[in-house]
Amino acid sequence: MCAVGPVTATVSEGLPVGFLAMLWLEREVVATLSPTLDDHQRSMIETYVDDSLRSMPEHLRVGVAAESILFGAWPRVQGALGRYDRRSMNARVERWKASRFDPVRQYVRLLHSLVLFAEHELTPAASR
Amino acid sequence: MTTPEATLDADVLVIGSGAGGAATAATLAAAGRDVTVVEEGPWIDPDALEPFSLEEMAAKYRHRGLAAALGNPAIAFAEGRCVGGSTEINSGLYHRLPAALAESWRHEYGIDDFSPETLDSYAQRIENELAVSRLPGAPPPSSALLERGATKLGWQAIEYPRVFRYDAAGRGVKQTMTRTLLPRAIEAGATVIPNCRVRRLLRRDGRVIGIRCHRTENGVAENLMIRAEHVFVCAGAIQTPALLQRSGIRGGVGSGLKVHPMIKIAARFPHPVDHGGVPMQVITEFGPNLSIGGSASRRGQVAMALADSSADYGDALDDWERVSVYYAAIRSEGRGRVMAVPGLRAPVVTYRLTEGDMSRLARGLVHLGEVLLASGATELYPSVADGPVVHNQHELAAWWDAVTRNRTNLMTVHLTSSVRMGEERSRTGADSFGRVWGFDNLRVSDASVVPDAPGVNPQGAIMAIAARNSDQFLAEG
Repeated sequence: MCAVGPVTATVSEGLPVGFLAMLWLEREVVATLSPTLDDHQRSMIETYVDDSLRSMPEHLRVGVAAESILFGAWPRVQGALGRYDRRSMNARVERWKASRFDPVRQYVRLLHSLVLFAEHELTPAASR
Repeated sequence: MTTPEATLDADVLVIGSGAGGAATAATLAAAGRDVTVVEEGPWIDPDALEPFSLEEMAAKYRHRGLAAALGNPAIAFAEGRCVGGSTEINSGLYHRLPAALAESWRHEYGIDDFSPETLDSYAQRIENELAVSRLPGAPPPSSALLERGATKLGWQAIEYPRVFRYDAAGRGVKQTMTRTLLPRAIEAGATVIPNCRVRRLLRRDGRVIGIRCHRTENGVAENLMIRAEHVFVCAGAIQTPALLQRSGIRGGVGSGLKVHPMIKIAARFPHPVDHGGVPMQVITEFGPNLSIGGSASRRGQVAMALADSSADYGDALDDWERVSVYYAAIRSEGRGRVMAVPGLRAPVVTYRLTEGDMSRLARGLVHLGEVLLASGATELYPSVADGPVVHNQHELAAWWDAVTRNRTNLMTVHLTSSVRMGEERSRTGADSFGRVWGFDNLRVSDASVVPDAPGVNPQGAIMAIAARNSDQFLAEG
């Protein structure tokens, strides 16, 4: 058996997967996309989406988080002024779904896919 | 809590326990070598979780299935991360490497001892070991529908064999690596260490002398060094090049990634369709550059596929038991790259589809639509944003223009060719038997060395090549 010698310079491993928890806008979009569920069911779905986002490769999670911060800026301002409500988010999400800008559309698509999968796998009776 | 670094010794160290790693470990252990297999993911009883369920994705898929190759369009992809690798999560469909492709690659990349006859002999060995077989009875409705549509159109369709063993009642059990080659390797003396992530290879003077890894067992984390005489990296087409790059090995590593991009349709039928498995009928009329088959279609997957069309799908979703998901997959002429980036644990993956690829995907979508309508489907929802829902053959023409880079949602489960093998050093990362250029004791034996996209489910080719490379290693003494 050989002996262990000096190690050649290598790339560091960096941040662990799971470093970015769900952000405010992401919670709002999930709530908007699952309007018919009760609080318990929505909580289960939110937990699933949160776990999934934390599991993403870091560079993809950072991209999604950046979009969440960017797209969430104006609703947050509206919230600070007391003018934010869920219905306005609903209209906003519908606009994003049909956006001609692929990153915007993909942002909603990602969250929508996660919500749909969880909704129909975790709470099949509720979504009938 | 992390304990101080422990040290283990091995003669042959195999990194990864999927199709390539398990075939390597079983071959070498049976020949009497001292084999240690390290696997990043956990060992999960193959009967513990329902196939394609949310629980399975959380437990066995890397990133819970949420990975994507960056590009326009991006391509979502899935990899296994558990003992047995992707063999634990795939459909079990099996196909030998097409002879024409093997012959072509042999010349293009200068691969020694890569004749179709040689590969077939290894494939036969694997098929015997895994009980590769066809369904003993009639196919399930989701599969029979494809056959019916193909027959009506006069297209060639075949039932793919699967790595399934059937009992007298016709019940099939998928012969994953945790059921087959890994237990055989252990029986022959091999050790399998799950929950063990390899951080980097340790190198000295043109040799790899071991690995540094991080193992977690029962909540206790442990840094581990494993010294080895010989190392086989079998971590798949994404993780293998990433590990090599993290270890400072970059020549011919990570470039040339190939995938089979898949475009999908959620098809609604006038009658219920089964949702438990994946259809085994594959339409080969346009192969090997375009194949058509069925996807996992649990309720959650049906919902996601319907939503991909951005049409109003509420009524179809309420009727989900009559909806099933099908795909068209192409052999892409584009290529991608895997890059280990300092500061990131997951590698960055990119993929560039050519205009020809986009055209083939549109053609694939239209052909898939044709066969589904011929099989009796009444509504087709394509995985194309704003792609119109189609009800008859005349409406299919609208899809030719709908498949654009900004509107098409793609995914893949077949990733290959990121450390190609062959004697053409400028185009490969390893020699004809997977030995990494510049190292006499470091080999790659997984999907990475397959020189190009095979156009069929790749696990058969991966296992045959891994067995072949292992025999060569043994022959070299």
